Amino acid sequence: MGSLEGILTGFQVAFSLEGVLFVLIGVFVGTFIGMLPGLGPISAIAVMIPITFGMDPAPALVMMAGVYYGAIFGGSTSSILLNAPGVSGAVATAFDGYPMAQQGKAGKALAIAAICSFFGGTVSVLLLMLLAPALSSVAIAFGPPAYFALMLMGLTAISSLSEGSTIKALLSAVAGFMVATIGIDAQTGTQRFTFGNVNLLEGLDFLVIALGLFALAEVCTLIINRKDLSQENTHKIGSMKLSKEDINEMKGPATRQSLLGFIIGVLPGAGATIASFIAYISEKKIAKNPEEFGKGSVRGLAAPEAANNAATSGAFVPLLSLGIPGSGTTAVMLGAFLVLGVQPGPLLMTDRPEIFWGVIASMYIGNVFLLILNLPLIPYFAKILKIPRPLLISLVIMFSIIGVYAISFNTFDLYMLLLFGVVGFLMRIFSFPAPPFILAFILGGMMEQAFRQSLTISNGSLMIFVQDPIALSLLIVSLLSFVFPLVRQLRKRKG
Amino acid sequence: MLKTLNQRISIVLILIGTGYLVLTFQLPSYAYVPADADLIPMVLGILLIILAVCLYFSKDSETEEQKARRNIPKQDVVALLTVFGFILVYIIFLEILGFVLITALFVFFCSWFLGYKKHITNLLVSVIFPVFMYVMFTEFLRISLPQGILPF
Repeated sequence: MGSLEGILTGFQVAFSLEGVLFVLIGVFVGTFIGMLPGLGPISAIAVMIPITFGMDPAPALVMMAGVYYGAIFGGSTSSILLNAPGVSGAVATAFDGYPMAQQGKAGKALAIAAICSFFGGTVSVLLLMLLAPALSSVAIAFGPPAYFALMLMGLTAISSLSEGSTIKALLSAVAGFMVATIGIDAQTGTQRFTFGNVNLLEGLDFLVIALGLFALAEVCTLIINRKDLSQENTHKIGSMKLSKEDINEMKGPATRQSLLGFIIGVLPGAGATIASFIAYISEKKIAKNPEEFGKGSVRGLAAPEAANNAATSGAFVPLLSLGIPGSGTTAVMLGAFLVLGVQPGPLLMTDRPEIFWGVIASMYIGNVFLLILNLPLIPYFAKILKIPRPLLISLVIMFSIIGVYAISFNTFDLYMLLLFGVVGFLMRIFSFPAPPFILAFILGGMMEQAFRQSLTISNGSLMIFVQDPIALSLLIVSLLSFVFPLVRQLRKRKG
Repeated sequence: MLKTLNQRISIVLILIGTGYLVLTFQLPSYAYVPADADLIPMVLGILLIILAVCLYFSKDSETEEQKARRNIPKQDVVALLTVFGFILVYIIFLEILGFVLITALFVFFCSWFLGYKKHITNLLVSVIFPVFMYVMFTEFLRISLPQGILPF
């Protein structure tokens, strides 16, 4: 099937009644969950996965994609109104969004955030449409050594770009990979680390890990902070009208940071969070009056909002065309694909064009929906932030339990969920980042397979990774990704 | 020897890595396989130990904010443990009492315990949510949740 025909099929899926309905549900639920303090896209996607069981893959994935960018979109609301970002990608939004709210201009801030998010999202979907098929056609030539090197690069990139200690991030990734080795080995049939337990034969389900490390660990943090936030008053929303000057000021940062955000989103390891910080810092550097940043600057709010949404669509490029997620969130997204029996990768575009193009095409509609939903409904949405913490905590626990039970029908997995909730909380208080863990857990099986296939081809010689030019260059990039934090550390010591 | 936090964490991780390697060495091996089932676990176990040793000697690079996260007041630790106890009870009785009943009990008492004072709202939420989820999953999504002792 030709590319054009594929695109048309995709639009047919996205614009069908079913497609439109599921996009709407997806972005609505995504915005809702993303807005809740602490709950980000990973929890949102993980909680929604059970809903897709038994659905057709195309509308299901269209919905899941909507949940993802909807959550990023919604995250800005709690940043602006409460100075409590719901997702890490919206932290930079609070820098200027919250001061604006304090000045009684919350409505304006929310409107700027919504419009810039829409702009960033739409620009990057256009770029996604151009880049994803191109990358697919290149990636089709990748052999197992190149694939292994590519996944390794994703893991090293996410570790070196994580906040805090690189060693801790790497430990987290190795631990995630170790958990992935539990179960029957796909190639030899050997039982590994199952301790004779039947429930471990197929390994742990990724939902157990995702909901444990993210949703339950967040519940623990919410329990500790339950008093701080419950009395907090949200600011009055105020008028949402933007003046001509506001719009003129938004134009520059929104355009620049949409492009930059998209590029950062495509790169492995970086995502909405890093994109929004780089956007904020770079706009501040080139601004005529940088002293306004942090005090309610329109530019300072427009830049991270355009960038984090652009990065979200950018992250779909490696996911759809290579089948390899570059971040914790897209790793969970990959899980959603696999649950539905869809393997993203270079063949997806030709084998399942209705999914490949359907998901992409639906993002246009999704972004429009988000804008329509958010602009008039923001004052009502903001009430969600007033959900009493104790109720929120109990309900999040309930959703996590349903999520895990509905895929395994087995209480063993629930005990594992609880265990990973504890692990996730400990990782949090000892500053071990969780995204490398979940990415390594999901990539682990594929990486091991690619590594062993490579060795089978070369009859056991590791030289195959050096002889394959693509693999070699990717491995060099992985090594180089450690030079960056090392230099940073050395500089710190000198300074 | 165990002065800093990093050193203590590193020892725990080295122990985990060693345990993992011991289990790896017990895996059966097959002839004529260039990459056997124990290859990757062996690499991972060794990597974990090497990284843990690096952590042992690395300087603390945490920010003040990250350090503050560990200062959990005692009463919050008790609250955390109690909620985990609630979840444990929830899991144990899930298949016995059924989804709707145990979830309603869990949501009500967990919210109450965490300091939610509006009992009537609490009661309504803890009945409506589980019933709604149950109906949605069993009727619309055709995923059966444990029915338990309730007749419907």
